[in-house]
Amino acid sequence: MASQRIDLPQGTLDLLILKTLALEPQHGWAISERIQQISRDVLQIQQGSLYPALHRLERRGWIKAHWGTSENNRRAKYYELTRSGREQLDDETAAWRKLALAVGQVLDMV
Amino acid sequence: MLNDLWFRARALFRRNALEGELGDELQYHLDRHVEKLMQRGLTREEAIREARLALGGLEQTKEECREARGVVMVEALMQDIRYAFRVLSKSPGFTAAVTLSLALGIGANTAIFSLIDAIMWRILPVKDPAGLVLLTHGQGGSFTSGFTYQQYRLMRDRNQVLTDLAAYSPAHLNVSINGRMDPTTEGQLVSGNYFSLLGVSPIAGRAIDPADDLAPNGHPVAMISHRYWGRRFGFTPSVVGRTLAISGMSFTIIGITPPEFFGAEVGRAPDIFVPLMMQPTVMPAWENMLGDPIQHLTWVQALGRLKPGVHVKQAAADLEALYRQELPMVGKFSPMKNERLALAPGVAGFSSLRREFSTPLFILMGIVVLVLLIACANTATLLLARATARRSEFAMRLALGARRGRLVRQLLIESLMLAILGGLVGILLARWAAQFLTAFIPSGDAPIVLDLSPNSRVLLFAAGISIVTGVLFGLAPALRATRIGLGSAVKDGAGWLLRAGGLRSGKVLAVIQVAVSLVLLIGAGLFVRSLQKLNSQEAGFVRESVLVMRVEPKGSDQRNVPGASERLDRIYRDLLRQVEAVPGVRSAGMAQFTPTSIRGASVTVALPSGEEERAFVPMVYPGYFRTIGIPFLAGRDFSANDLDADAPLVAVVNDTFARRMFGKKSAAGQQFHIGSFAHEIIGVVRDSRYTNFRGETPPTIYKPFLQTHTGRGQMALYVRVTGDPALVLPRLREAVQSTDKSMPLFQVRTLAEEINAVLVQERLIATVSSSFGALALVLVCVGLYGLLAFAVVQRTREMGVRMALGATRWDVVWMVMREALVLVLIGGGIGVPAALAAGRMASNKISGLLFGLKSTDPLTIATAAALLTLVALVASYIPARRASRIEPMVALRNE
Repeated sequence: MASQRIDLPQGTLDLLILKTLALEPQHGWAISERIQQISRDVLQIQQGSLYPALHRLERRGWIKAHWGTSENNRRAKYYELTRSGREQLDDETAAWRKLALAVGQVLDMV
Repeated sequence: MLNDLWFRARALFRRNALEGELGDELQYHLDRHVEKLMQRGLTREEAIREARLALGGLEQTKEECREARGVVMVEALMQDIRYAFRVLSKSPGFTAAVTLSLALGIGANTAIFSLIDAIMWRILPVKDPAGLVLLTHGQGGSFTSGFTYQQYRLMRDRNQVLTDLAAYSPAHLNVSINGRMDPTTEGQLVSGNYFSLLGVSPIAGRAIDPADDLAPNGHPVAMISHRYWGRRFGFTPSVVGRTLAISGMSFTIIGITPPEFFGAEVGRAPDIFVPLMMQPTVMPAWENMLGDPIQHLTWVQALGRLKPGVHVKQAAADLEALYRQELPMVGKFSPMKNERLALAPGVAGFSSLRREFSTPLFILMGIVVLVLLIACANTATLLLARATARRSEFAMRLALGARRGRLVRQLLIESLMLAILGGLVGILLARWAAQFLTAFIPSGDAPIVLDLSPNSRVLLFAAGISIVTGVLFGLAPALRATRIGLGSAVKDGAGWLLRAGGLRSGKVLAVIQVAVSLVLLIGAGLFVRSLQKLNSQEAGFVRESVLVMRVEPKGSDQRNVPGASERLDRIYRDLLRQVEAVPGVRSAGMAQFTPTSIRGASVTVALPSGEEERAFVPMVYPGYFRTIGIPFLAGRDFSANDLDADAPLVAVVNDTFARRMFGKKSAAGQQFHIGSFAHEIIGVVRDSRYTNFRGETPPTIYKPFLQTHTGRGQMALYVRVTGDPALVLPRLREAVQSTDKSMPLFQVRTLAEEINAVLVQERLIATVSSSFGALALVLVCVGLYGLLAFAVVQRTREMGVRMALGATRWDVVWMVMREALVLVLIGGGIGVPAALAAGRMASNKISGLLFGLKSTDPLTIATAAALLTLVALVASYIPARRASRIEPMVALRNE
């Protein structure tokens, strides 16, 4: 398992968080679980980088936070995407795809 | 962006709530992780341990979250400020020394700045001052602002470019209220539209309006200033409607001007305003200047408001065409013919002070900037020494993980706080200093009134220089002190200096101080020496014991009144007899002029060579020369027989006149002509500077009263007394009273005071620059002392070794003092050329203020350098002695 884990390139974490929140409002724990799950354990988000990222995104106004009740009936801080966050997600997704495509083409050179 | 600001603000002000939320959020995450691990079969303790390990440091994450929220910077800043407070209050001596030296620098700058502000830039307290323009005329770079009444009237009535054009003329009024004389009251004649143009409303009664300004001498009405209302009427509400007499005519008081209003001239404070049409009454010494089409005196100032959309150049062209239609003629000659008309912005009002004092004030500004530089260098030296002492503290903080930037910021905050403290004290000092400086401005007949209350511009200036100096003197020591190799500094507090060459910055600062002070001292020396040269006087002649007084018997201020000259002559001769009889009077005489008010005719005399020469022709009475200490080179003074109108025409001439007229031949007994009248020269006196202090003495012909037909007959009485003049003065008053009961005696001054009033610019600059020079010397002395004392402590071991190896105490003393001398030598090597360069650059500004010497005067430069060297030796002696007392064994054991 450990060998499958890779480090995230700079800025990718923000994109993943935004994408995860685009589906539904979530709290921090669920975000990291979701990313790990969907990436089949390749991407593991550390608490030490997840929460600063969440606070940074909140400051930029791309996500907003409110306190809610979690599935196990505890108070948890939920984040949801704002309108400008959604636009940001679209932009970043497009940029990422372009980059991935380009890098792929270069790597596939014969 | 807005979101970002709001977010940061919330982060700052709701800190506790947010801290709690952050804790909860992270705790929730931790709990969920523990749950997950327990589901995989770990025990609770194992799960907690595992989760903590997996998730990394909780505090570190929190800190990163705070940083992400943008709290950290502001919060750290608050921390630094609190810390700086603690540090500074723990060392009150250091804080006081730095604050004081900065306060002197900042205070001096703020004082000069607030004077410049009050004289140059303060906005007139009238409606829309930015729309005002002052009409001036002149050619090249020199423009003046007076017009004849005819020019004013034509421009007012026919111009297309101004909404209105008002006129005013300052005048000294002879006011009496209920029979009580007030011989010199500063007043102003104003046109009927003056107050409406300025938009100034009276606080009681009504303002002078155009209906009051229609016919010459037609409307004897007056407005009084708020100040005069208080001074002469004790703020009696019923003053409007009462009367006062001006030159004998009764004027009705119709209104009171607002307290802040002072007319349009900064520095003046007229107390009485009367319509321009009252000129013949209130200015009896002058002829009627309203109707006479050929009179040529340019006595009214013209002040207008541009119509909207009219450009200044266009307006000037329009007005110039009108002004040219009424060019005044002096004989066949029209002095204004080649001049152009220009509009000056009126926003800050107008001021003769501005012309007279702008150069001295800007020179003083330059001087105080130098003082500030020295104060900064001094402060930086102190900070550097202190930062060195705190080196282990910094090393400790660096070792504990503080970043260098944070330490630099901490030190900068400390120096900024010192600068702000210095700035606050400086503003207080400035208030007091500016008042002290205004005492120098000669008030003449009218008091100079300047608004020196600190306004936003002055405060902004003080704040600005405080912050700039704070960064300036704080940055270098901060950068130096925090450049530490971690291991070395924690181990030893002081030894690093020897290796790191830490004294070098201190030495550079000392050299800067020496160089700047030398420039300052040389400047101060030049000004002081030229004042001395201007003031040089006859040996043994005491100016303090000569009283100069103005006497104006009735009618002396009027022209060509039949029989007046004879009557005045009788009064004056009688007065001189009475005064000479007063006990304590050594001699008495009269002359038409005083050093502060040069009056006298000017005539053209034909020289033997055929050339013409202008000569100054004042009236004098016998005894003048003896009283004022002008010696006779040949011949005699006037005698009683020379004074009558029908006596042969005689004259006493000065040396310059005698030489121009007769070359090397003796002039006494010779004749010369004024017009067709032959005069005999009965005496030649040495040139005196009393008629022109700064330039060359004009050729002068002194003549008896009745033999000179200039019309007016005001004279000044000169009395030389033995002992204290104040004791003789009451008896002089009695003598004047017994000669003529109605004769006012005023402007009583000693000759020394008269001359001081003439030399006010020179005195102002000499006094202020030399006191700043002394201040600079003190600062340099303290700075050098501090640096050397510090160096001696740092080099204790080296000294110990030297002494152990056989150096004598004197070797050590010399070693330390030599260091000081080297610093002075380098500083001087920079300072002297800098002073020369500064003198060259400012030559057109200062040459007018230097008398009898150039800015390169070697004696002054040598004196300044010697003084500075002496101070350096004094400053270094104490540390040197301390170094020589080092016990080698103690010193070596020390480390």
